[in-house]
Amino acid sequence: MPNALPRLASLAAIAAVAALPLMPLAAEPPIVLADPEGDDNGPGSYKYPTDAVYKPKSFDLKKLEVIDKGDDVEFRVTLATTIEDPWNSPSWPDGGGNGFSLQFVQVYLDTDHQPGAGFNRPLPGLGNAQFESAEAWDKVVLISPQPRARLSAEVKAKAGNQRAGVVIPKTTKATGKTLIAVVKKAEVGQPSAKWGYQAVVQSNEGFPVEKDILTRPVHQTVGPHRFGGGDDGPCDPHVIDILAGAGKGDRSEVEAQHKALKYACGGKVATIPMVYPAP
Amino acid sequence: MHRRQSVHQRRAWAWALAIAATSAAKPASADLAKFEIDGRIFTKHLYQNDDNQGLLSLGNPFWPDDVAGHNGIGSELELIFRGRVSQLAEAGARVASRFGERWHDWWESGAAWYDRKTNTSGDSAGMNRASYLKLRGSYIQLAPELSHLDYVRIGASDFSMFNPWTIGKVRYIDRDNGRGYFLGGKFGDDNAGQYYVAAIAMPKLWVGPSWSTGIGDPALSQAFWSRDWAYAAMVRYRVGDSTTVRLVGDVTQDLEVNTADPDAVGSRNPTCKDGLGNAIPGCAPDHAVDLLTRYASLNATFDVESEPLDWLRVQGLLGVSAQRIDPKLAGNGVQLNQGVYPLVYKDTSDVAGTLRLSASDPFDVGLSLQGEYFYIGPDWNAIFGARREADVLLTDGLVGSGGQLPTLNLANEFVDFDDEWVESCIGWHGATGVLTLDKGDTRLRAEYTHIEYATNGQDRDVDRTYPDFLHGDGFTDTLVYDYANVSDRGRDPRSVYRRNQFRRTDLAVLQLKHQFEVGSGLDVEVKGKYIKDVDYRRLNGQGALDDDYAGDIANVRVKLSMPVADGLRLGVHGQVDHWNEVNRKGTLQLGYGDDATDRQVVGLTANLSYGGVRFAYLVEYLHKTQDRQREPDQLWNVWRSKAVIEAAW
Repeated sequence: MPNALPRLASLAAIAAVAALPLMPLAAEPPIVLADPEGDDNGPGSYKYPTDAVYKPKSFDLKKLEVIDKGDDVEFRVTLATTIEDPWNSPSWPDGGGNGFSLQFVQVYLDTDHQPGAGFNRPLPGLGNAQFESAEAWDKVVLISPQPRARLSAEVKAKAGNQRAGVVIPKTTKATGKTLIAVVKKAEVGQPSAKWGYQAVVQSNEGFPVEKDILTRPVHQTVGPHRFGGGDDGPCDPHVIDILAGAGKGDRSEVEAQHKALKYACGGKVATIPMVYPAP
Repeated sequence: MHRRQSVHQRRAWAWALAIAATSAAKPASADLAKFEIDGRIFTKHLYQNDDNQGLLSLGNPFWPDDVAGHNGIGSELELIFRGRVSQLAEAGARVASRFGERWHDWWESGAAWYDRKTNTSGDSAGMNRASYLKLRGSYIQLAPELSHLDYVRIGASDFSMFNPWTIGKVRYIDRDNGRGYFLGGKFGDDNAGQYYVAAIAMPKLWVGPSWSTGIGDPALSQAFWSRDWAYAAMVRYRVGDSTTVRLVGDVTQDLEVNTADPDAVGSRNPTCKDGLGNAIPGCAPDHAVDLLTRYASLNATFDVESEPLDWLRVQGLLGVSAQRIDPKLAGNGVQLNQGVYPLVYKDTSDVAGTLRLSASDPFDVGLSLQGEYFYIGPDWNAIFGARREADVLLTDGLVGSGGQLPTLNLANEFVDFDDEWVESCIGWHGATGVLTLDKGDTRLRAEYTHIEYATNGQDRDVDRTYPDFLHGDGFTDTLVYDYANVSDRGRDPRSVYRRNQFRRTDLAVLQLKHQFEVGSGLDVEVKGKYIKDVDYRRLNGQGALDDDYAGDIANVRVKLSMPVADGLRLGVHGQVDHWNEVNRKGTLQLGYGDDATDRQVVGLTANLSYGGVRFAYLVEYLHKTQDRQREPDQLWNVWRSKAVIEAAW
């Protein structure tokens, strides 16, 4: 009996060590990046379509959160107003949409911060825009109202070699002002504050033009479902709102966005910046 | 011989035009930024185990058409042109082939020499069967560089800048048919205000008594519709960071010729003398024709949308609706057309209001709550409002997820068997509560709605004043619907008035969606709905207790689907419905019957996107039995399918 205590202690220690792999590891803290309100105008000139479903602020990015969920990673994109589903997306063909109709957000990730590694051009459909070589993206998460099969078909048909970096969430939904996409961690890796992040807000288009992946181009004049204030030629970025500056949400980031997305036909190409929480 | 020559000439012209168009396109292609053409080809297959030929499950409810039917394949070509005129202007147009030609009609030329009696000549079925291209709409749009005016559009519009309560966005198939003048701009500090104003040429077809602005009205010897206009305005203003207020309104006016005017064609007083040869006082020709208002309407709403907290949203709407109808210029369609009429046949005015609170995950546990109060007055009618493809209430409603609209002018027509249905909510007074729980890959939604009816009343005049749409009894079966009601399909979704009504409805919906980690993710959706619908009908007098209606309606739907390859998604669905109705239909004189209906549906879906082309296929089997107390029982064994192939470029 006097020997029982050490034996029990040893068994407890062995059991504790054996159980270690089963214990949940402390998840990484969420990555949170903010964006100021009132900059849902691309380079400063873009205007919303005339159809009443395009309510003010419905494309105005406020926050990107990247949350470690164990085997999954959750991307939460918060806009400045409640996200609606005016076109009843569950009734769409291809298996039904994801509970919202208008927005399409692409979350670009620079996971290595290596110059020359990754893609400099965004996916087809964002117009004339680029990423700096040192901030080239490696992964992009598509937060779309379209069903997964439609997304994967569009990506396969139009993304070319960028397809390797495209991540289609296993679930996408809208709650209040927030779009929530869950992806398998195996597809994006362990989120890190050293990664670069960018959330590009665009508009969902079920019948995109030939090379665009489910996005609406920005035109010179507005239409019922067309953003205006851009250029009808191949000059302008088709981007409504992005993260800019340090991603803190202060007013200086409005100007930073306008400056980044500024373009000139035959001249400056709009450059989408990455935001690095811990550079 | 002469006719045949003209056909040959037309064909020659078509070729000549095609060549000319090709030639004309060359200079434009030199500057692609200035001129764009988008195209789309849409092909649809419908098949069903009956002998009904056509391309559309449900066609025009009024005029006979040669499009509707259950067996056929047809295609449609659409071309959209857009050109940049200058830095400040663009112009555009859409042309599309008329839908209706079945592939088997390929010999048809567009002529109709044989009085539309189908034969093999190729010249019997008319233009629809020849898929002629029609200009659906054209516009010129300017972007003036003025401080308060940056939008001027002349021509086609879908009217989507207003709202379903006033001038609604026109249905998709009509999206470029409406024309008018539209101005818009911003005002106020930081452009906090925005406005649109419009003058719209009223469609001669559907905005007015008898779905017309005069044509076909038995009260008119000659209709005059070229000066019928609607006027609309929308003003929106942002108050602070979280609140927006909006005022939307429209007025319609249908004018007709005053036939007492001696200048009018068909005047009653062409000589300005009465039957005795005496001069009629005040009557003198002046080469100007007086006009009278046959019908006018006004609808206006004021709504507030506020998000005082990140998780809280408040939406409130108040509206007024009024109409004036001149019985001398508008025949009484309630009386003459068996109650099938899109408005109340008298001057009316009424109000409507909704208040919706939405709390999105306030406790941070994935639980969201919504509540809505609604009241739509019994005499409210949005005659120019949205007819479908919109929804003004939170509830799932009675007939499905197509939505509820505050108009008698619904358009559940030109639809296929798988399309969503809308129902009229005129007179609805009640409340809805919705709980939504989001947990990981699971979403659970629960709804409860209670509806009282402001249209409740006794001895309502449905013979001359209130349209009852002839068939107002029984739960509506939208899956096997027919407008003439030869199949006993239940209540018309527009039927909101009854002679005697004391009705209330409770409905509960439970919906569960979950994604199982099977393959690339198996989506499962289960939806159950229960409706308790009671109507005590006549409350007093003889037979008051014998006509009470009680309906118990239960639906269960299950849907499973999964992506199985890039662009390919397969699904299977099933549906079991039972509705048991006491005193379902009849009259006090003839008595009522207790009927029970069972309906089951199973089906498969396949959706494929390949190389930019979309394929969608649905096949289903519908089994329905109707056990009727006073009439013979009915049975449906229906196999039907729909396939769509679509390419846009």
